[in-house]
Amino acid sequence: MKNPALIFLGAFLINNIVLMRFLGLCPFFGVSTAVETATGMGMAVIFVMTLASWITWIVFNVVLLPLNLVFLRTAVFILTIASLVQLVEMFLKKYYRTLYNAMGIYLPLITTNCAILGITFLNIDNKFNFLNATVFAIGTGIGFMVVMITFAAIRERLDLAPINPSLKGYPISFIAAGLMALAFLGFSGLFGLM
Amino acid sequence: MTSTKNMVLTLLIVAIVCSVVLSFVYSYTEPRIAETQAQLTLGGIKQVINAQEFVEIIPDTLWKAVDSSGILTGIVFRVFPQGYGGPIPITVGLDLNGKITGVRIASAAEGLKETPGLGVKITEPEFKDQFIDKCAPEAQLKNDGGEIDAITAATISSRAVCNGIKKGIETYLNYLETPIDKRCVFSDAREFVEIIKDTLWYALKDADTIGIVFVGFTQGYLDCREFMVGVGTDAKISGVKILYSSETEGIGEAIREKEFLDKFKKGSAEAITGATVSSQVLIDAIEEYITRYKEYLK
Amino acid sequence: MKRRNLFTRGLVKENAVLVLMIGLCPALAVSGTVRDAFGMGIAATFVLLFSNVMISIMRKKIPNEVRIPVFILIISTFVTIIDYVMQAFQPDLYRALGIFVPLIVVNCMILGRAEAFAYKNSVIDSILDGLGVGLGFTLALTVMGAIREILGNGTFLGMAILGEGFKESPVIFMILPPGAFLVIGVLKALINKYVKKETQ
Repeated sequence: MKNPALIFLGAFLINNIVLMRFLGLCPFFGVSTAVETATGMGMAVIFVMTLASWITWIVFNVVLLPLNLVFLRTAVFILTIASLVQLVEMFLKKYYRTLYNAMGIYLPLITTNCAILGITFLNIDNKFNFLNATVFAIGTGIGFMVVMITFAAIRERLDLAPINPSLKGYPISFIAAGLMALAFLGFSGLFGLM
Repeated sequence: MTSTKNMVLTLLIVAIVCSVVLSFVYSYTEPRIAETQAQLTLGGIKQVINAQEFVEIIPDTLWKAVDSSGILTGIVFRVFPQGYGGPIPITVGLDLNGKITGVRIASAAEGLKETPGLGVKITEPEFKDQFIDKCAPEAQLKNDGGEIDAITAATISSRAVCNGIKKGIETYLNYLETPIDKRCVFSDAREFVEIIKDTLWYALKDADTIGIVFVGFTQGYLDCREFMVGVGTDAKISGVKILYSSETEGIGEAIREKEFLDKFKKGSAEAITGATVSSQVLIDAIEEYITRYKEYLK
Repeated sequence: MKRRNLFTRGLVKENAVLVLMIGLCPALAVSGTVRDAFGMGIAATFVLLFSNVMISIMRKKIPNEVRIPVFILIISTFVTIIDYVMQAFQPDLYRALGIFVPLIVVNCMILGRAEAFAYKNSVIDSILDGLGVGLGFTLALTVMGAIREILGNGTFLGMAILGEGFKESPVIFMILPPGAFLVIGVLKALINKYVKKETQ
């Protein structure tokens, strides 16, 4: 599966990061209460995911691998991502205010997030080259955003619906997410048919 | 407010101590991990064919099965055809007649992504043992002209396995032949003396060493190629033969063409230019091997 | 706070997964079978415990401004240790847990306890706290794993317990992603209904 188009499709639909891979659940449930916040969060995720993939890919293939320091991968990646996001946030705040207002506030939330770190690990485990890693990151980010916006729309409706008090809040959200996951399962045979 | 010096110092010390601790843990566990992995692979291979020893030909993809005296009894290869939910890891054993001796499919715990309850049934003996004692044309679904029963409601997974196995046999069948006659790359030699097992031989004529013959391979990003080269003591190439190539049909086939290979006979590797990327990779690899084995030419 | 409360708090009242809703990713991803769920719980508890201890021991020496990076360094060291040790001694479990082993490093409960507790309390207290939260996490995961494995595969730790007939066609849905969401949703609903919160 080295074809960038297939990788994109896989990342977006077939192995959707939230509904199939179970990564990024905390921001998914935390920030999806309104469509607007979901959009901002989604954009931030695409942005950070791509940047983080680039930096960690370079660090791994140019520094860790040649120097035989692969065992430092976990520590190095997480620190790199945390620093990167910190720098990006400061940079955006100072020079690109509008962009910062749109998504900057979500950046700290996704720093130590399993979605970002998970994708950087997967890039290495799948032995992607730079282009494929980029496609994978963008595809995953878009998959995350699409699912989050859909889910936010559902939650906005749920807030107004009459629901049994014990189900209100997290429980019904989980069940709704489960139904979405069920729908996405339908994509899983796409590879076999291609 | 702590001084900057203090902050940086703490960070540095912690980072260094952590790195040191981790490198210890790594060096302690790494050999064990490698060994477990090798055991696992060997275990998998042993399940598909009866043999004493295995010689890895293509890393993690192809092994020769030999008995205690070193004679070839079969081969084992791995294929990863695209199934319903993802690639299906299949290990297949083949005897000298090209008949399947055993099939092993990785389980869901090992990464199989087929539908639980349906597609994963391909790992069960009822399905996979059907392949035993069949050759390539028979290893197809009954609907496709072969003799294999598909799993009800899991046709895609079943078909994927059949196609994968069939393609694997077609690709690696060459390896069942008796060792390639080295004279096809060094026609002047009468005798060959093995220096490095299955890799390097002296070419002799009338008890004089007139050159060497070696087997090498290139492992590129997408492809893998095994070739045999004969080189005379004057460092001129006497012949090149491609033993195996995993290039997609059509694209890399050109390098097997006689015209291309004959170019080598005219001189040293440097003098040949590659028409395509794959032929250039081959030329570079041959050059490298000649340099590596240069000392044997004296 | 009484020592005993330190331990039980993380176990039930402030259970990471079912009350505080953190550490959801591994909870849903690896709770398909009891073995995987329990294994992940123990691995995370190991990291939590040792990180808590280390940070508590060093708490007077870590400058406040750089505490987060230092926590991350320490936590990731223990995560890497358990990563390689599991690879070497429990390769089957390692393969089943996949990337979620190194992802323990971003499990909010570990960084959370380091910041909220270990940095400010004694070593003994930190041990109790770490054990409580970690075992609570393990408990939640194992319960989910049990439900999903029994209904979705007819087995418990690989042994058929609902009869061979059920094993032939179990509720496969349960071990697939949607099942995970459903199970945790229902569990949370039950907890909301039957467990009275102290502060409301």
